[in-house]
Amino acid sequence: MKKKSIRKKKGIDWMSIIPPWILLAIIFAVWEIAAKTTGISEYILPPMSKIIHGVITKFPGELLPHFLLTVRVIVLGFIFATILGISLAAIFSQFNIITKAVTPVIIWLVITPMITLIPLMTLWLGYDPVLRTYVVILQATPIIALNTLNGFVNVDNDKVELAKSVGCTRMQRFTKIVFMNAMPQVFTGIKLGSIFSTIAALSADIVSGNAGLGFKISQFTKYNNVYMSYGTIFLVGLIGLTLYKIIERIERRVVLWKN
Amino acid sequence: MEVQKDARISAIDIAKHFGDKASGTLTPVLDGVSMNIQEGEFVVILGPSGCGKSTFLKILGGILPASSGKILIDGTDYGTQVPRELLKRFGFVFQNNNLLQWRTAAGNLKFMLETMRLKGEAWQGRVSEMLEVVGLQDYQDVYPHELSGGMRQRVGIARALVHDPDVLIMDQPMGALDAITRQMLTFELLDIWHKTQKTIIMVTNNVNEAIILGNRVFIFSQLPAKILQEIPIDIPFEERNHQVFSSPRFLELREKLNHHVRATLSLEEPA
Ligand SMILES: Nc1ncnc2c1ncn2[C@@H]1O[C@H](COP(=O)(O)OP(=O)(O)O)[C@@H](O)[C@H]1O
Ligand SMILES: [Mg+2]
Repeated sequence: MKKKSIRKKKGIDWMSIIPPWILLAIIFAVWEIAAKTTGISEYILPPMSKIIHGVITKFPGELLPHFLLTVRVIVLGFIFATILGISLAAIFSQFNIITKAVTPVIIWLVITPMITLIPLMTLWLGYDPVLRTYVVILQATPIIALNTLNGFVNVDNDKVELAKSVGCTRMQRFTKIVFMNAMPQVFTGIKLGSIFSTIAALSADIVSGNAGLGFKISQFTKYNNVYMSYGTIFLVGLIGLTLYKIIERIERRVVLWKN
Repeated sequence: MEVQKDARISAIDIAKHFGDKASGTLTPVLDGVSMNIQEGEFVVILGPSGCGKSTFLKILGGILPASSGKILIDGTDYGTQVPRELLKRFGFVFQNNNLLQWRTAAGNLKFMLETMRLKGEAWQGRVSEMLEVVGLQDYQDVYPHELSGGMRQRVGIARALVHDPDVLIMDQPMGALDAITRQMLTFELLDIWHKTQKTIIMVTNNVNEAIILGNRVFIFSQLPAKILQEIPIDIPFEERNHQVFSSPRFLELREKLNHHVRATLSLEEPA
């Protein structure tokens, strides 16, 4: 009998798809009922049906350009941050002393809300939509670098000895052992990076004004259009969730092993 | 100890310590270990756990430098560290198989060919050939986590053979296996040694294995390790089969080895 590799089953894994949808339906239902029965003002708790209806009707006309802008800022910033974060971690990890020196600085940068820099950056760079992409890069790179670096410097001594036993070059050791060994942490970093990118882009919209979904949220709120504020907030969550899921898909394709 | 001119490997007065005096962490691990190993020999090392057996193998396999002493390979003195260019001539089987979990069985073998830059069809062919030698020809594309402990150990052995080294160094290759798998793999190893004619240096903690496989058995003392005994195993290859366990010579040797092993566990050296 031939023994084939036990790959993950093709087909759809309903058990991980259905439960979140059911939960979402329950949350929406409870929200709807609460909004209609508790007598809480519509300005605080608009009915879910109104929120969804509002977003769907206003999406093609009013929201679409802002949606596209914000998505572009998130995706571009996120891609650059991923490349930059992994590259920086790869360089830092080559030298023990540099790793030790930069780690607290990276943590410091992770914690810093980069939107606080927008007024300053506007001073230097003037008004420029690209500014928001910089903010995303600044916000997402450190968290990606931190996780990746962690993976790059924590290699089993056994694996290092295997590399030594075959006389690996520095480059071979990095590409064939260190990088592969760190792959799960690299993906953790990238996934966190996607979340940070979404938050940063939205905050940048709010601070910069003029355009973007964040700007729309503050505008809707200003004009007491509460259900549209909620709806746009959900829309942003949907963008982040989609990005996260795409990366998870890629991860499942790449990381076929168990540690 | 004298260097034997015709030895494949000579380890002369190998000493090794970890840490340093200044910080009070100095741990002497090997204390003047010497042995001459002939081509095609199967040498077995027995010793109490934590005495420095793995450390000695790592020095022979170029993973660690010795603190003092010298290593000669085919008569050439390489000092305390086996140079990189020579590592192709060694295959190392690690204590806990040490497979790369992100590579399939075949991928783990290919790792050796890639890092050693051994290209071409003949080398690629050796990947399935060696997996066949260890009975895993149908498991080429399987990841380590999908294999049993015994299978993983076999992949580890195939990996150490794929680049056709002259010398196989094995650190308790059957350490983590159940008794039945362990005995089966012992006879398989004997067969592999006979077929491939490699020089083998193996550490074990099992006296039966030592007798079935070894030409000579070295018994290490407690930390820091010295060689306490060197015992030749004079059972001919043809008699090393499942019946050997009841042969008088086997029982005699086992008694002798057990006696010396027990002696290492008490603090005094055996009389
Ligand atoms: N890299 C290391 N640094 C410090 N001490 C070590 C190192 N490797 C091994 N040792 C110590 O050397 C001794 C011998 O270890 P080892 O050679 O693994 O023993 P064995 O294989 O005989 O069980 C042990 O006391 C161990 O703690
Ligand atoms: Mg050991």
